[in-house]
Amino acid sequence: MKQTLGYLALPLLMAAALTTPARADGETIAVFTKNQTNPFFQTVRVGADNMAKTLNAKTLQYIPTKPDSIPEQLSQIEDVVVKKPSAIVFTPVDYKAMVPGVEKINDAKIPVVNITDRSAGGKFLSFVGADDYSLGLETARFLLKTLGGKGNIVIIEGVKGSLTNVDRVRGFNDALKENAGAKLLASQPGNYQRLQALQVMENLMQSNAQIDGVLAANDAMAVGAIEALDGANRKAQVIGINGTKEAIDAIKSGKLLASGDYNGFFQGCLGTMMAIRSLRNQPVIAEIVLKPTVITKDNYQPFDVPLEQRSCPTFEEASKLGGK
Amino acid sequence: MTDISKEAIAPPRSFLSQDAIQVFYRLLAALLICAVLAVLSDSFLSLGNILNVLRQASLTFFIASGLTLVVLTAGLDLSVGANVALSACIAGTVIHKTGSPALGILTGLACGGMVGLLNGVMVTALRIPSFIATYGMLWVLNGLTYWYMAGETLHGFPAGFRQIGSGYLFGLPIPVYLLLVFLGIGTLFAQRTVWGQEIYAIGANPVAARLSGIPVARRLLLVYAVSGTMAGLASIIFLSRLNSAEADIGESLTLPAIAAVLIGGTSLFGGVGTVFGTFIGALILTLVLNGMNLLSVSANWQPLVTGIIVILAVWLDMKTRRRAQ
Repeated sequence: MKQTLGYLALPLLMAAALTTPARADGETIAVFTKNQTNPFFQTVRVGADNMAKTLNAKTLQYIPTKPDSIPEQLSQIEDVVVKKPSAIVFTPVDYKAMVPGVEKINDAKIPVVNITDRSAGGKFLSFVGADDYSLGLETARFLLKTLGGKGNIVIIEGVKGSLTNVDRVRGFNDALKENAGAKLLASQPGNYQRLQALQVMENLMQSNAQIDGVLAANDAMAVGAIEALDGANRKAQVIGINGTKEAIDAIKSGKLLASGDYNGFFQGCLGTMMAIRSLRNQPVIAEIVLKPTVITKDNYQPFDVPLEQRSCPTFEEASKLGGK
Repeated sequence: MTDISKEAIAPPRSFLSQDAIQVFYRLLAALLICAVLAVLSDSFLSLGNILNVLRQASLTFFIASGLTLVVLTAGLDLSVGANVALSACIAGTVIHKTGSPALGILTGLACGGMVGLLNGVMVTALRIPSFIATYGMLWVLNGLTYWYMAGETLHGFPAGFRQIGSGYLFGLPIPVYLLLVFLGIGTLFAQRTVWGQEIYAIGANPVAARLSGIPVARRLLLVYAVSGTMAGLASIIFLSRLNSAEADIGESLTLPAIAAVLIGGTSLFGGVGTVFGTFIGALILTLVLNGMNLLSVSANWQPLVTGIIVILAVWLDMKTRRRAQ
């Protein structure tokens, strides 16, 4: 029944689209992120706000009060379906568990763009994200190049089983395989937590007299590992992923070798841009997977700008950033 | 019932009490784990690693020591981890803004203590069960911390301040000295002071405690305030050791602290347990993770093994206690 109504409505909608050239400004974009604790999502939200302001639209932020809470995001979806924003920019707290939520949004006929974590199901008008595998691969390649293709390496993993961790660690391991001189000593979990990474590193230093390189699946753990190395007066090259402010500072001071830029700011910008463009009947890019940038002491400057002062890319730039 | 009230008016505990026997079992378990790890890993028994384990256990112990007193009164403080997070973020801001570590430390302790006191007020004046009051507090604190930090991280503290968590004195990490001091104070307070004995009595039987003239409400207030203040202390050690604070540190600290108390033999039903047992509980938790790191045990097994140890410890505890009675 719903379906038939949909088919009946379609020509009407198309006619409406043709007769009204572009809808007026002032759309409301509901932006869903996973938590308030990870600085990464703060950059996503600032990017989304920035883009919306540029295009004379508004954002409404939806963030679970309990980090990454599945039931909470689901109930926020229920709220938003009632409130009916013009469009939604959506990061699922769990890429599989939130599929029913996405279907609710689809049923309510609210256009939705998927950002950051690729949802396992549902219909989206666009996907904007970064490639965790290539981030892992490129940062690890950079570390191994710095070490001359050899050395004793440890990996500090994020939350076991999380999509970001699986892909990043797979990238690390593939880079290690390319370098016959590199030896993986251990791959241990730090659960994306600084304290746990610090303790794991302290423990690993006890059983390994020589550690040359540390591959950490995020910046907080990389910084934790550096604290452990400093505490033991030992030196190793450390890389992280995310490009947080803290990581940039550590790269500037020479403590951190590099960080893979996950580019939350651009993800927020581009997700919001695609949502608004589709509302204004402008062409959108169906998929943008941002190319990985390895932030090092040679190229950190553009990343060392406060979030508020950064600017979003234009649509023309967006298509060059990794559009498919 | 008569047994419990007898316990409530029992004379001060000697070191050969039932608690002492429980502590002995736990020490034995810790030594057994050490022996196994020493056989499996060459680096386990090195001085460096032993200091390493003690320093790692200290953070859990600081949180868990105050929590032990709460559990001794048959209460629970679920807000300790969230309290550490808020206190660390506030203390960190104060140090950044004023440049004075001393002021930061005082603020951290005061913030932790205030939160504890509020918990105490909810439990005593409003008569909310501690489990619910402190669970609510956990959310309040998370909310405040997330709002306050807005996804930012505080980092970079003065070198002098960093010494508290990362420094050494005569070859021993400074947190290990603090561990010994608070282990001593906690043990003396619980076993040798009237207030300590009253806390045991309240946990064993609150009605009997009240009838025998113990100011139950005031002692409970004290206990929650101490638990909060110890969370405040832990926040300072955390800041100084990690050189940073972020809003989401709390969740990863609460459950290990509760586990340390339980593995240490303090009964959730109150009146039974020791601060020293909690120290061993923290030690066992740390040893297990340290051992799995040294042996490069796959990441998947680590939470599983920890879980099994908590369950085993509590089960063994109930079994031995039943036999003793």
